[in-house]
Amino acid sequence: MKKLSFVEVVARLNEFWARQGCIIMQPLDTEVGAGTFHPATFFKSLGHEPWRAAYVQPSRRPTDGRYADNPLRMQFYYQYQVLVKPTPSNIKKLYLESLKYLGIDTKTHEVRFVEDDWESPTLGASGLGWEVWLDSLEITQFTYFQQIGGKELDKISCEITYGLERICMFIQNRFNVFDLEWQDGLKYGDIYRQQEIEYSKYNFDEANIDMYLKMFESFEQEAANLINKGLLYPAYSFVLRASHAFNVLDARGAVSQGERPRYIGRIRSLSKRCAELYLAPKPDKEEA
Amino acid sequence: MKKGFKDFLLEINTEELPAGCVMPALESLYNAFIGQFTALGIDFDPDVSAGLRMATKNTLVCYIKDVSPTQRTALKEVLGPPKRIAFDEKGNPTKQAVGFAKNQGVDVSELKFKQTPKGEYLVFEKQEASRATKDILREIIPVMIKGISFAKTMRWDDSGLRFARPIESVLALFGNESISVSVGNVAQKKITVTPERYLKTLKRSCLIDASERKIKIRKMILDAAKKNGADPKADEKLLEEVTFMVNLPEAFTGSFNKEFLDLPEEVLRASMAKHQRVFPVMKRGMLINKFVAIIDGKGRDENKVKRNYENILEAKLKDSLFFYEEDTKKVFSGNAPQLKDLIFQKDLGNMFEKNQRLKELSGFICDSLGISGSLKSDAQRAGELSKSDLLTHMVGEFPSLQGIMGREYALKSGEKKEVSEAIGEHYLPQGIDDALPKSIAGAILAISDKIDNVAGFVGMSSGKLSGSFDPFGIRRNALGLIRIIKDRSFRIELGPLIKKAIGLYGGKLKIGPSELKKTIIDYIKDRIGFLMGNVRPLELKEAVLGAGGCDISDIFKRLDAVLSMKDSEYFLRAAKVVERTGNILKGAGKEKIGEVNKDLLRDDPERAVWDAYLKSKDEIKDLIDKEEYSDATRKYAETFYEALHEFFDKVLVNTEDRPLRMNRLAMMKAVNSLYAERVADLARLPQIVVKG
Repeated sequence: MKKLSFVEVVARLNEFWARQGCIIMQPLDTEVGAGTFHPATFFKSLGHEPWRAAYVQPSRRPTDGRYADNPLRMQFYYQYQVLVKPTPSNIKKLYLESLKYLGIDTKTHEVRFVEDDWESPTLGASGLGWEVWLDSLEITQFTYFQQIGGKELDKISCEITYGLERICMFIQNRFNVFDLEWQDGLKYGDIYRQQEIEYSKYNFDEANIDMYLKMFESFEQEAANLINKGLLYPAYSFVLRASHAFNVLDARGAVSQGERPRYIGRIRSLSKRCAELYLAPKPDKEEA
Repeated sequence: MKKGFKDFLLEINTEELPAGCVMPALESLYNAFIGQFTALGIDFDPDVSAGLRMATKNTLVCYIKDVSPTQRTALKEVLGPPKRIAFDEKGNPTKQAVGFAKNQGVDVSELKFKQTPKGEYLVFEKQEASRATKDILREIIPVMIKGISFAKTMRWDDSGLRFARPIESVLALFGNESISVSVGNVAQKKITVTPERYLKTLKRSCLIDASERKIKIRKMILDAAKKNGADPKADEKLLEEVTFMVNLPEAFTGSFNKEFLDLPEEVLRASMAKHQRVFPVMKRGMLINKFVAIIDGKGRDENKVKRNYENILEAKLKDSLFFYEEDTKKVFSGNAPQLKDLIFQKDLGNMFEKNQRLKELSGFICDSLGISGSLKSDAQRAGELSKSDLLTHMVGEFPSLQGIMGREYALKSGEKKEVSEAIGEHYLPQGIDDALPKSIAGAILAISDKIDNVAGFVGMSSGKLSGSFDPFGIRRNALGLIRIIKDRSFRIELGPLIKKAIGLYGGKLKIGPSELKKTIIDYIKDRIGFLMGNVRPLELKEAVLGAGGCDISDIFKRLDAVLSMKDSEYFLRAAKVVERTGNILKGAGKEKIGEVNKDLLRDDPERAVWDAYLKSKDEIKDLIDKEEYSDATRKYAETFYEALHEFFDKVLVNTEDRPLRMNRLAMMKAVNSLYAERVADLARLPQIVVKG
């Protein structure tokens, strides 16, 4: 099998999971740290309604910037997110099949499921599952959600989060993310190297701390107002913005260890309220 | 095997369990079955070695041999009317006896008599119904599975069943019959094969026996080391974990760029262990640029897998190098403002304060030990810097490197080697078998840290210390500090040190200082008793701990002395003296006992005791001060044994004449405390018999 480019890997995963009944969604347009923040996961894992979706989510983790100097770590990267609810009993098998569908030979290479208790404190979310290691490279986070928005879940969803760059590294046998083939000879680094360097400088050295502190307060306030007005989706988008502002402040060294839990707690309480609002009965809908 | 007895096997197949919970889960399951079988009267072969071995990351096999097919039948006694009511004068059964027999469904002739404290009664020995083990198993297996205790459990489907990871299937075999098991929505395997045969099949597909697997992996690591001319050593902790990550181990040796050897050794080890679970390789005690990987399954493309492992390790080490460089850009300091933001414990202030307290405590310990000069200033400097590495990137990435990174960064910042070493050692020992600090300054700082932890954690809680629930590691801290003090033979009275530690918290603690000090001393003495191990008679521990203050080295010295002389005649005589005086004092209850008034000594035998006391007390005290406990004991016995014998024979201590009585009690107290408060309170020993 030809070694897949980054774009082809995404296409194949879309094909594979569409065949499993997943709705192929598009990324969220707000800065987030992971695919879990997308409403297609955060909201849809709540309640009893069955749901299957898959999508790419660009993810930003400001503290992970390495000035394009590290072969594995970046402050901006792509996740491929699958959410399946309720969890079918063959979900692990399906996942392994998806690897084969990408041309990964799981017989000659070693796939290992390593204990990982996943947690997203800002989303009030937690689950149990594994990091999946392929020849010791962590390529996937595999989680059975137990709690989202501080709520014990009615139905257990399974979240599969592929690290797209890492899977491509493996498939293309190139151990520097910037050498990966994006498409037709175009390299990942051709597109993202400069961005990575500049954002690393920005996040660590240049981000305007005062501005972000004010932004955090404003976003938090706006989210709270909108929750009170029952405007769920706009409210949630401001929770996400507050969360990203916090991440930038954190990378910039502007959040002390003592303040950290307080910031996280403030975001979590908004996330919880969004989850409650999502689950609340909607009288408007019934009238319509 | 006894007739009809069968082997029992329960196999639980799961998705990958966390490595650390596999064996505890199997033990919990096995013990639950053993407990139930015993309680229900089902006989089995109690040989644990067969039943407690088979476990992998996704299979738990509980195997119990020779299980009886039915419950043991027990006779249950049903008590009827008393004999005198049950039979008339002629010995014929009354209405009551007949009624009772009828209720039990038998004839009166089948009843027996039984002697009870209330007299003779009619009883019926009822044969209890015996149930088939198979039926019992069907009922209890689901309960046993649900009862396995895990640190964390999860749900995965609508059944609500909880387990560490999803259960895929269950197989229960009793003899060659499979028992249907209904637990959650879990699939049942049904086959007709004996447990013995089934185990053989299992063993063909993987190394199901955990101890065999571990031995095999260890050998692979040692062989690989040998091939590279390296030291034959395997990281045992990692080995234990990897044993429950692979079912069919295969090994290869990989290498990495030598430039990474510039990183501190512990960083390399931590990175290898955390990111890839690969084993470092040492040559003559130094890490070399190689590693041994244990991977799962046959038929892997070893060259490709190895190349991937190598590339990934280098990428991870590159990240460690980034952290290292970032961290060393800053001066390592004890008063970085961020330390004030770093919470030690919610109610116990921040890490800046902790640094300051450890500086003070280390100074206090040095003073108590008579240490001054550069050793004292090194220990204090190390205290001041002890927690600063918690701010670094590297400790953020590898929390287990706390202390170690402090050592590295302190050295890089130009601190003295002694100071850096002390920082690096102050978390030692981490466990009961762990090494102790090698340097004196390290030992002093480690004691400071531990006594500060104990004072803080006990002081912020209710002050009640429970044996099993110990979230703050109070036990580990207490044991650690006892071991260090004992090992170093440090002579330090813990009372004042604990008082100092409590005082340094400056009112943050919830319990009053003197009550807290007493709680901590009692707790530490309790732990000392634990460390004393198997002492016979057991009461010797109490006797030694009950005398004197809390000077750990002295306590162990006295214990050794007492153990070495415990069978000698003079020891038994000394013990008798302490026992008899002790008993008299116990009888005095709460009466306040004063000083001896010489003028009130009337009888010869009591004057003889007092004269002996005055003549020898200084010599005995002096011997005790010099810690010549054996000589002191001998002298004590010689001085008092005969004299007291005579005294107790001729003189009545508890006379009606109060002044006289109190004076005699005062003398008893003087004699008793001379030994019991300094060497060992031998009155606590069981029955002391002096021959001859």
